[in-house]
Amino acid sequence: MLEILTQSEHFYTYVTLAVIFLAFFNVAEVFFLLHNKAMVERSELKRQRLKRLAATALITSTSPAELLPKPVTEDDFAAYSEAIASVLDSFEGEVAFTATKLLTDLGIDAHYRRLARHRTWYKRGNAIDILASFRLKANREFFLGIFRSEPSLDVKYRILYGLSRLTREHSDIKALAHLLSTLPYLTAKYTEDIFYNIITALKAEDKENEFGLFMDELLHDQGVLNLVKRDCITACYAASCEKNRDLLKAYYEAYPSEPEILIAAVRALAKQGDFSVMPYALQHHDWRVRLAALKYAHLCCMGMLTEIRAMLRDPSYHVRINAGLALARGGGISRAALKEEAASQDKFAAAAAAYALSMEAS
Amino acid sequence: MAKILIIDDDETIHLICKAYLSKSGYTVETAFDGPEGLELAASCQPDLVLLDINMPRMSGFDVAKKLKENEATKHIPIVMMTSLKQDSNIQRGYGLGIEDYITKPTNMAHLKLRIDKFLEKKK
Repeated sequence: MLEILTQSEHFYTYVTLAVIFLAFFNVAEVFFLLHNKAMVERSELKRQRLKRLAATALITSTSPAELLPKPVTEDDFAAYSEAIASVLDSFEGEVAFTATKLLTDLGIDAHYRRLARHRTWYKRGNAIDILASFRLKANREFFLGIFRSEPSLDVKYRILYGLSRLTREHSDIKALAHLLSTLPYLTAKYTEDIFYNIITALKAEDKENEFGLFMDELLHDQGVLNLVKRDCITACYAASCEKNRDLLKAYYEAYPSEPEILIAAVRALAKQGDFSVMPYALQHHDWRVRLAALKYAHLCCMGMLTEIRAMLRDPSYHVRINAGLALARGGGISRAALKEEAASQDKFAAAAAAYALSMEAS
Repeated sequence: MAKILIIDDDETIHLICKAYLSKSGYTVETAFDGPEGLELAASCQPDLVLLDINMPRMSGFDVAKKLKENEATKHIPIVMMTSLKQDSNIQRGYGLGIEDYITKPTNMAHLKLRIDKFLEKKK
């Protein structure tokens, strides 16, 4: 083929035509990109303008829907929903109430409810995320309904996330836990986030005790994975649920051979200023539990100086280092003991002590 | 007329706070990020700074630190307004010398009362 072309008397005509075609294609491509850029910029400007309009209308009028143009395109809906979600995240009281009312008045909620039944899964997922950001209690039943018929797992995870932000009472947590168990896999972060949302939603309604009831039921339930129990405790740590302190201690006592649960309980209790389990945790057979307790030892356990000092000879490198750091943070006698250990014959203890002292100096 | 500087990357927050606080008789200046906020704070000398934490280019903690380190701005009360509720963040904020830490969602009427309190103290 190449031979025929090169030997043809029209060879240079073909080459010229190809070059012209390529040049034309490149110019058209540049124009296409410029046009696309202008469209995106225009749409972004319109979005910003609508967001500004919505925010201004929310603060200046009691019925902002009358001041705002009705949303028509997907961009209009996105602009309004972004502005309203931002208001709901940041404010409560009158402004939040007006923003919630605007969702119904402009048909934004209904639009995303329709989109949540779209045939394309990522559009459904996006609509669920947006609906979840509104935290409308009325969406609870809707979420439960679409969860049953939803074929895509990706969307199901999002529905449950949205549902967790709408928890009102103990029975809702149980229903949510049941739905969670129908999913094929759960990452620690996802489960923790779900429980965190539940606690935050209950706290907002002054019903933190309802989560305590759930944790109490979970305590001896063998059907629930211990890792889920751990995530529950970790969420307590993140959301600072102070009303469940006794339950956290009960978990510590009920699972002496589950380091994941023990570590989570030690951290959650320490965050609330409760160090009652520390003496046991510092002497636990699992090095990870000892390590978790050592992180707080300087706050509570300087009466256990001999034990912490002995941990400079622990078989675990991490425990030795953190025992040194705990002694350094403890100051006074414990720091003096650390200096003595730096000159110790035991090379492991000496190295850990020297490292802790060097860290303190830096 | 007391002047308030809002440093937050969300324009919706600017608009709502500005409209509400202007109605209450305050002059409101706004900045979208830390560097812009620091510049404005030095030039317009506000009576109070409302500061977010999660912002592009510079976090609210860094802005608070710089404001408190600068001779020209260290006297300005800082009220942090953020959705970060963890104790560690609250401790860090107060450690930097901020005057108040408000978690979102916040009630505008309560926010105004707190601002009034600081500005009255300043007088």
